[in-house]
Amino acid sequence: MTVEQTAEMAQRPAEMKSVNPGIDWRGRALDRAPFLVACLMLALIVAIYGSLQSGVFTLDEINLDTAAAMTLMLAATGQTIVLLRGGIDLSIGGMISLGTVIAATRFTDDPSTTAFWALAILALGFGIGALNGLLISLLRLQPFLVTLATWSILNGIAMIILPTDGGSVPSWWVGFASAQLFGLTSPVWMLLALLVFWWWFRATGTGITIQASGSNEKSAFLSGVSITRVNLVTYGLSGLFAAGAALFLVTQTGAGSPTIGKDYILPSVAAAVIGGVSLFGGRGHLAGTLIGAFVLTLIGNLVFVLHVSSYWQPVASGVILLLSVLASSIAEKAARSRVQ
Amino acid sequence: MDLVTVNGLTKRYGGIVALSDATFSARAGEVHALLGENGAGKSTFIQILSGAVRHDGGSILIDGQDYRPANPDAAQARGIAAVFQELSLIPDLSVEQNIWFRHEPRTLLRTVNRGEMRRKTLALLEKYSFPTLRPDRELRRLTLAERQIVEIAKGLAKDPRIIILDEATSALPAREAEWLLKLTRQLAAEGRLVIFISHRMAEVRAIADRLTIFRNGATVAAHEANAVSDNEIVAQMIGRHLDRLYPERIPTATDRVALKVQGISSGSRLSGVEFALREGEVLGVGGLQGHGQRELFQALFGATRATGAVELWGKPVSIANPRQALTGRDGIALVPEDRRGQGLLLTKSVRENLTLSVIKRFTENGLLSRQKEAELVKEMVDFLRIKAGTPEQLAGTLSGGNQQKVIFGKMLLTQARILLLYDPTRGVDVGTKGEIFQLMRDLAAKGYAILFHSSDMPELVHVADRVMVMRNGRIAATLEGDHISEEEILRAAMLETRAA
Repeated sequence: MTVEQTAEMAQRPAEMKSVNPGIDWRGRALDRAPFLVACLMLALIVAIYGSLQSGVFTLDEINLDTAAAMTLMLAATGQTIVLLRGGIDLSIGGMISLGTVIAATRFTDDPSTTAFWALAILALGFGIGALNGLLISLLRLQPFLVTLATWSILNGIAMIILPTDGGSVPSWWVGFASAQLFGLTSPVWMLLALLVFWWWFRATGTGITIQASGSNEKSAFLSGVSITRVNLVTYGLSGLFAAGAALFLVTQTGAGSPTIGKDYILPSVAAAVIGGVSLFGGRGHLAGTLIGAFVLTLIGNLVFVLHVSSYWQPVASGVILLLSVLASSIAEKAARSRVQ
Repeated sequence: MDLVTVNGLTKRYGGIVALSDATFSARAGEVHALLGENGAGKSTFIQILSGAVRHDGGSILIDGQDYRPANPDAAQARGIAAVFQELSLIPDLSVEQNIWFRHEPRTLLRTVNRGEMRRKTLALLEKYSFPTLRPDRELRRLTLAERQIVEIAKGLAKDPRIIILDEATSALPAREAEWLLKLTRQLAAEGRLVIFISHRMAEVRAIADRLTIFRNGATVAAHEANAVSDNEIVAQMIGRHLDRLYPERIPTATDRVALKVQGISSGSRLSGVEFALREGEVLGVGGLQGHGQRELFQALFGATRATGAVELWGKPVSIANPRQALTGRDGIALVPEDRRGQGLLLTKSVRENLTLSVIKRFTENGLLSRQKEAELVKEMVDFLRIKAGTPEQLAGTLSGGNQQKVIFGKMLLTQARILLLYDPTRGVDVGTKGEIFQLMRDLAAKGYAILFHSSDMPELVHVADRVMVMRNGRIAATLEGDHISEEEILRAAMLETRAA
């Protein structure tokens, strides 16, 4: 066959238009609807909060609120990666508790000892997370069950190390959370760092592969993805961020607690869902999760300035969670009817 | 020298032998068709070649070197790309991200170089004259046909030496299918080996240089394409001479109208469709793909919102809330387009799939009667001749033809007598196709009313009593008796297009 013949064969059939690159704005808006709803909620909460309390719109308030939300944000960052993969990680509760008790019993005034143990906690977090991922892949077990089990195990170990709340961390470690640069405290810089990390991570091969495996595992496998490796990295990162959350948490409490981690398990999932991360994998963005974490944190402030019982906080959080889920399901339906 | 040589390839799944003795050889620069009924081992064969599963015995040589890929990655590294029938695409990634998945151009920060990726995408689509695709569109917003095209682009993106097209034309409308056939020849002319799997004999005839025929997990013959007749091929595929693919068409329609549709419209895709489907009749719906056939079926089954009047067995029904109104004996049952996605739960057993939607029928005083269920299931499995080891076999492990039979069974168990069949033979082997056509005529003779769409025009011509041809969301013509021919259908479908 000659080149000319080949070229002729490749003639596009009549009526088939040429390639049309363009941006699907409406589709994108619908995809981001849950995120936009989360932003709206945050704006509403801030507006109410600001009208009831003076000094809300100041740098100080931003510094304070970010510090209050940072532990949840770190935990929820790991959770977001796992949710994107289509899994769930309950073991972060155990990892956070374990991290705080190790810090509270091992950190000393000697910076090199403390740095060693801080790195050890991070490494432990990644290692235990990777183990979760390995168990899920090799035993073909549900992530829910595997991480439920490791949560319990880690919790137990934390109890053995430090049976009750206590211990201490050096004051310079506590001081880290209020260190300032250009008027912004370190938690705000961490928040920015998280966003930069995400912007980078989501565009890397690893990030795309994790998202793809959560979107359709079989397709990912057929495309050459090693599912075992994906799980190892996904849960490893989740454990790493949980360990990071523990290291930050002790700057807020100044002590260790073998039970404190459980307070971050479901809120980490809730923050992600409020921010538009799908529980079924494949869809979501860290910016949404961070907004969600702010929403959950500020609800507490709001309940405080409204002078009502603090028991209203979980009620309000629940209502907001329901509204978010509702918003994403409406957007999902709209997107689907558009396809047809 | 042959590019690929396969000898005595075997593969077992538990006690089931999928491949017992597959032999195959093909050269670079040829289109090599792989033929066989569903369940003959073609799928297993290409899964082994593409690294998705590993073979138990036998040998594969590529360029004379042993080939035993541990996973799809290893297969890709040896220059083999598969375009899967069950697509290997990621719903939440964009078209271009899917095409280059795991092979994206990178920046210094190890992130995806979007500009470069877009440039490469456009170059690839242009080089092979792809139909219109928007590179930034998320895959889940694409139609089945568009996804199939993306899957093809994904295969080509790796610049493979061997490309496997598994039923790639079955999801494509006529025009795009024609493009793919030309593309196939172009790829062969570039010196690649194309392994082409299709159930459409005409396509195989049009492009294949050589063909290999599989039956029951073994190779039965290999031919030069121009040295063998259609009848010989079919005979070797099914192991006997198929008397006829299409059953005798004895008119069984009565005067009683089963489904009367007046002025049904839905968006811009369907406008003012009117027709009457009679008891005992098979009414074909034809025309070029994308002229409202899908929307008509969806509107009738209530999958999309539509306006208009619908009567079932003389009684007006609301199509505002159709699912409720249309179930039961006087209702409608549907064989959907995407049987894996919509029709079948692949991880459930044949029994569960059959009875899921009719649990009420064997419930007594609120308790399930397992015995009654078993009777119904057995009756259906026997009636449809579903080839499953036991009713507990998972639906996902059945061959395509048998999966389709399970969907028919599920539909018949609802007891609805108005059946909507949307491309029921898509991806089904010749033998099962014949059985499905016979079944349709048998059901019509029993008083069922059948609305039947097929993307394969000869099926409409040979099976339907009347054929409605759709164009731009309307009925352009209704053909009867001797007027039903491929030529007449095409004429009605394209008249306006020609004038324009």
